[in-house]
Amino acid sequence: MSFINAVVAFVELEARRIRYNITEVITRVVQPILWLVVFGPIMASVRALPTDGIPYIAFITPGVILQSVTFVSIFYGLTIVWERESGILKKLLTTPVPRIAIVLGRSSASVIRAFMQFMIITPIALLIGVRIVPNPLDIMFVIIIITITSVGFSTFSIWIATFMKTRERFMGIGQAITMPLFFASNSIYPINIMPPIFKAISLGNPLTYSIDALRKTLIIGTLDGLITDIVALIIFTTIFTLLASIQFRRLIE
Amino acid sequence: MFLRFYLSFFIFIFFIYKTWLTSMADIAVSTRGLVKIYSNTVKALDGVSINVNRGEIFAVLGPNGAGKTTLMRILTTQLRPTSGEAYVLGYNVVSDGDKVRRFIGYVPQEFSVWTDLSGYENLLIYAKIYGVPRHEINERINEVLRFMDLSDASKRLVRTYSGGMIRRLEIATALLIEPEILFLDEPTIGLDPAARKMVWDKLTALNKELGLTIFFNSHYMDEVEMYADRLVILNKGKVVVEGAADELKRSVGGEVVELTVDDVSKTVHRVNEMNSLGIRDVNIDNDRGIVRVIVDNAEEALPVIITTLRDAGVRIIKASISRPTLDDVFLKYVGGKISEEGRLQEVRTLRSVIKKG
Repeated sequence: MSFINAVVAFVELEARRIRYNITEVITRVVQPILWLVVFGPIMASVRALPTDGIPYIAFITPGVILQSVTFVSIFYGLTIVWERESGILKKLLTTPVPRIAIVLGRSSASVIRAFMQFMIITPIALLIGVRIVPNPLDIMFVIIIITITSVGFSTFSIWIATFMKTRERFMGIGQAITMPLFFASNSIYPINIMPPIFKAISLGNPLTYSIDALRKTLIIGTLDGLITDIVALIIFTTIFTLLASIQFRRLIE
Repeated sequence: MFLRFYLSFFIFIFFIYKTWLTSMADIAVSTRGLVKIYSNTVKALDGVSINVNRGEIFAVLGPNGAGKTTLMRILTTQLRPTSGEAYVLGYNVVSDGDKVRRFIGYVPQEFSVWTDLSGYENLLIYAKIYGVPRHEINERINEVLRFMDLSDASKRLVRTYSGGMIRRLEIATALLIEPEILFLDEPTIGLDPAARKMVWDKLTALNKELGLTIFFNSHYMDEVEMYADRLVILNKGKVVVEGAADELKRSVGGEVVELTVDDVSKTVHRVNEMNSLGIRDVNIDNDRGIVRVIVDNAEEALPVIITTLRDAGVRIIKASISRPTLDDVFLKYVGGKISEEGRLQEVRTLRSVIKKG
């Protein structure tokens, strides 16, 4: 019970912080909007990529949303590094909250930021003509997919943070991870046109499964094969939640 | 028959348990031979044994790198000791860490509030993290705000607070769970004298009115001398001496004649030759050219010492008389000054950076 209360408190903390930092939220959606409004229409006009009949902008919408979600989540590790440098992490460790609740709580707080991104980008996609599936079941899956992806990548980043104990180093690593993750996935082109080696890398990239799942539920409206994607995401998230909790000691000492 | 035996056995066990509990009840913190080695090389604590009584204000005094923070982090269950044992309120900090955490408040040296929230919101979030029952949250927050004189500022962002206000807010968050012991790591570092006094007024009130045990680290001699009931001096991971401030000062003995001179070694040489003065000890601080002569009666000794030194050709730049302070205690047991200006600057910079967010 105290476990859940603590996680909810961390989410509330984040919601309150966002309220005071609206500019940060806005600056973070600039890049995704550029992908949708500039890159999308230009590539669409070339008609170079086989997208199985999906309009190109609609095809890249899930990728753009999730790129933004993973970006926000991965930089969440930065918050942990920051709270380590200040005394907040030390103080949290002396409260009756279990350590895994701190790891999960701080990462599920990034879910809030992820949904902020989603809530801003999706209407913009709708405005420029992307049609999404208005089915409640699909929307429920959309919420689940974004949540798991966000928790997964933020626990991943907390795990990275346990090695990169300073902000500068973490910034470097964060930059070096996010763009390759995006390009080595099915975000802006289908996997099957990739060279074999990149195809293999993409299949090991959790983002690929998130995007595939979101494309199915948000754009296409099918639940076929969704289970594979979700299982892959759950495995990814569980592994890194455990790793982050175990390695958490490194961060404190 | 069997049942009676069974019952009396339980009553017996219960009494043993009760005696054990009451014997533990007076001790707030006790450690035995604590050792902490970081990454197999750095020995931060080297066999520390201390006892802190309930209801007292206890200070750990020592220079930078003495192991003060490490000791506090072990007691607050953040770190595990490499060897040795530590008990807080009778609970082992390693095996019963979850119990310890329910009864302690902790304020780290650096910073433990979110500056992009208001004071009230910080308390609200911490109350929820601590698991304060929902219907009590508001009342508890208002109570700690009032106690720390922060009610008027509670709606403002912490970023706009002064250093002293932030410290008071941090103490307020630690009070939310109504702790039995408050652990404070350098509570007034980087604060101006007025803010320091205000923080200490609040802390002594907590100690007097609520009987809260306060365990703090400091390198400010005056602060320790003024507020601590008992203290321990820590140096290089070892306990140098433990006791009440008065007791320790008496152990240094006598009064002090402090001289600033141009030639320390010559002064020491001459002073040591003066047998008649009742000289107990001579300490030196070579860097600043200071010689401290500990005597029974400083007022009588001073003119004699000055005359002798002048005859020997030593130039006396400054001379003063004082009763022993903790500085002298430290000097006697450790043989150096607690000088942490560099460290202080570092912490100040860190705090101001954090405050800007």
